[in-house]
Amino acid sequence: MTDEPRDTDCMEVLDRLYEYIDGELTPERAAEVRRHLDACAPCFRLAGFESAYVRFLEARTRGQHAPAALRKKILEQLLLEGSSSESP
Amino acid sequence: MPESDTKRQTFEAEALPHLDTVYRVALRLAADESRAEDLVQETMLRAYRSWHQYTRGTNARAWLLTILRHTFINQYRKAKRAAVEVDIHQIESYTVFHDVQETDPEGAFFDTIVDDEVLRAIDTLPDGFRETLILSDVEGLAYAEIATITEVPVGTVKSRLFRARQALQRQLYDYAVEMGYIQRREA
Repeated sequence: MTDEPRDTDCMEVLDRLYEYIDGELTPERAAEVRRHLDACAPCFRLAGFESAYVRFLEARTRGQHAPAALRKKILEQLLLEGSSSESP
Repeated sequence: MPESDTKRQTFEAEALPHLDTVYRVALRLAADESRAEDLVQETMLRAYRSWHQYTRGTNARAWLLTILRHTFINQYRKAKRAAVEVDIHQIESYTVFHDVQETDPEGAFFDTIVDDEVLRAIDTLPDGFRETLILSDVEGLAYAEIATITEVPVGTVKSRLFRARQALQRQLYDYAVEMGYIQRREA
């Protein structure tokens, strides 16, 4: 945070930026952040960069699926459990 | 209809749709495919055995992930993870944006990085940070859900996520520089 001296508003917005991007702020707080971003070009550009980064992470990490063989093994396991747990 | 059939049907309807989630999280926790598969099997079996404790129609995904996490901590975390851990407290500067704002303000360099490299980088995050980032960014859980699953206050989730994302961002940037995808800014 040494790059550019920023005022308190900027620091507060930076602190809440991920919460803002993640939709974790109350509507009132989110509106405050949005107002600041609309008025402050450096924060606006940073917010754009960080949003792109978070979207990138999501896009690149959700492609894996449980292998079919594993799913099959689990289903077989459940069948075995079912019959063995009939009598408590 | 035997009781076990009904139990299996409700389990298959409510729990199994989250198998991909459980698998993806297990992969990143265990950082090894075969161990992850064992972990998933163990988790689903435990979940099935305690299915009577689950209230139907509530958050089955969070419930399964909690079981997954406990199973991992009890049985798997003891085994040493292969990946080298990044020292998250070494991450001093906030956001690589300041390094790229003149050359690549929109972060286009991220797109040059392949999925495997992203996952490898995630695997180097320390446990608490890694699991927070996985639950948030890989699986899209809300902070409150992550707090419940990882048994920490929401404020801790927030600060872990912040640090984890920043550490990961710095690593991906260093990787992109190393690969020549982007020029490092002259100091």
